[in-house]
Amino acid sequence: MPMQTTFANRWITPLLALSVLTVVPLTSSAHGPTRQKVIEKITINAPPAAVWAKVKNFDALKDWHPAIAESPASQGNTIGSVRSLKLKGGGELTETLEGYDDAAMKYSYRAKDGGALPVTNYTSTLIVTGSGNQSVVEWRGAFYRGHPGNEPPPEQNDDAAVKAITGVYQGGLANLKKLVEGS
Amino acid sequence: MNTWSFCVAALLLGVLAEAQAAPFAYITNQGSADVSVIDLASQQVVATVGVGKSPAGVVASSRAGKVFVSNPDSRSISVIDMRGQRVVGTLDAGDGPVGLDASPDGLQVFAADWYANRLLVFDAGATLARQAPVASIAVGHAPAGVAAHSDNNTVFVAERDDDSVAAVGVRERRVLSRVKVGSHPFALLLDAPRHRLYALNVMSDDVSVIDTDTLKVTATVKVGKAPYGAALADGGALIYVTNQHDDSVSVIDAQSLTLLRTLNGFGYPEGVASHGDKVYVVNWMDDNVSVLDAASGKELRHIATGKNSRGFGAFIGEPASGLPPLP
Repeated sequence: MPMQTTFANRWITPLLALSVLTVVPLTSSAHGPTRQKVIEKITINAPPAAVWAKVKNFDALKDWHPAIAESPASQGNTIGSVRSLKLKGGGELTETLEGYDDAAMKYSYRAKDGGALPVTNYTSTLIVTGSGNQSVVEWRGAFYRGHPGNEPPPEQNDDAAVKAITGVYQGGLANLKKLVEGS
Repeated sequence: MNTWSFCVAALLLGVLAEAQAAPFAYITNQGSADVSVIDLASQQVVATVGVGKSPAGVVASSRAGKVFVSNPDSRSISVIDMRGQRVVGTLDAGDGPVGLDASPDGLQVFAADWYANRLLVFDAGATLARQAPVASIAVGHAPAGVAAHSDNNTVFVAERDDDSVAAVGVRERRVLSRVKVGSHPFALLLDAPRHRLYALNVMSDDVSVIDTDTLKVTATVKVGKAPYGAALADGGALIYVTNQHDDSVSVIDAQSLTLLRTLNGFGYPEGVASHGDKVYVVNWMDDNVSVLDAASGKELRHIATGKNSRGFGAFIGEPASGLPPLP
């Protein structure tokens, strides 16, 4: 039986996944009628300011997400800044900063279609809340599946899209908790 | 039963019927395959009605006494009776119905068939299982929002991937004219007294104002990121527009077409509708409805709904509107 590597697995165990990172054929901005969402939260035993300090820079994703090798951003934390993600397992993603609020400890971005995730029209927000020595990090995304037509192949249907984004968020948040609490 | 007790019973029933006749908001919940029915008098969810898969579009036709809900993943439209709050029929709706509207006379229902690029026309009185459309009219690519004109014949359709709006003649069974708007129009809103149609352009973050007599764009109003829903409020003086990617709502003065204010703190807002002095904004990300004071925009409360709530369309209806029910 051939080994199947899911998109979620790819993000969690990026080194295993070189083989599937080929082409996700996408028509720019075309999508079906049903948008999907993922909301993941994690509680971290550290002050919100300390957690925000770890994630606040748009180009810092590589420092806390285990699947990201590089994440340079063109204009830092300025709206419109474009970060170019390189995955450890291969594959790329281009994301543009659309909202940034240092006081509210929150930023939002939009991914260009055709990247290394089976989604289209993908927007995402990362927000840190909490008080005292406890923080909650919420990562939420809205997106359509990779296949814009009515009969998507299994690897590009709604379930595949939700699974992939869930994997990205869970993998990142779990590692963030480990990094912050361990330091 | 003597005459007196009969009269008292009839009176009580009348009062009950009146209480039942308060306007309702019908919120489509894409993630839980149901519709949350909010009684606008009590501001509470009074029923949850199961429909097809991924319900998105909705139109509550007071004249028909029915609510129509598009289920793109079931390729159907569920018909809910406004008095009983239950499904009384299902329509066969092409490859993926999205936006819906009903003719003002309550006789016909229109659905944009997203994948098949056509406008489907249904008999609003149909209650048979899997009732088929009475007409299917070719339109442009990725038809989304639908707005039935007050003339009971023209139906406007947002052709998202063509950046245009088509005026379809239902009797003529074809597109009569077409106008280019902004980038990726999704929702439409008719402003009949002003002879205007508003097209919400998701990619260019603006609203095209179309003169319905000439079918020409007469103005363009900048709003927030990814506008997805619009409603007239405060007696038609204001236009409320939801901006999904900003989690905000733009409030526009309908007369001067100037942006009055931007309200924040919503969760991927999509549907919006108004009744009386209130505006109801559906938060897709947060699974609830924000109730606002229409004049000030002040948030009054939240009402929890089902999962991934959309409410894409005119989701408020009033069964006892004084009009006789259709046969």
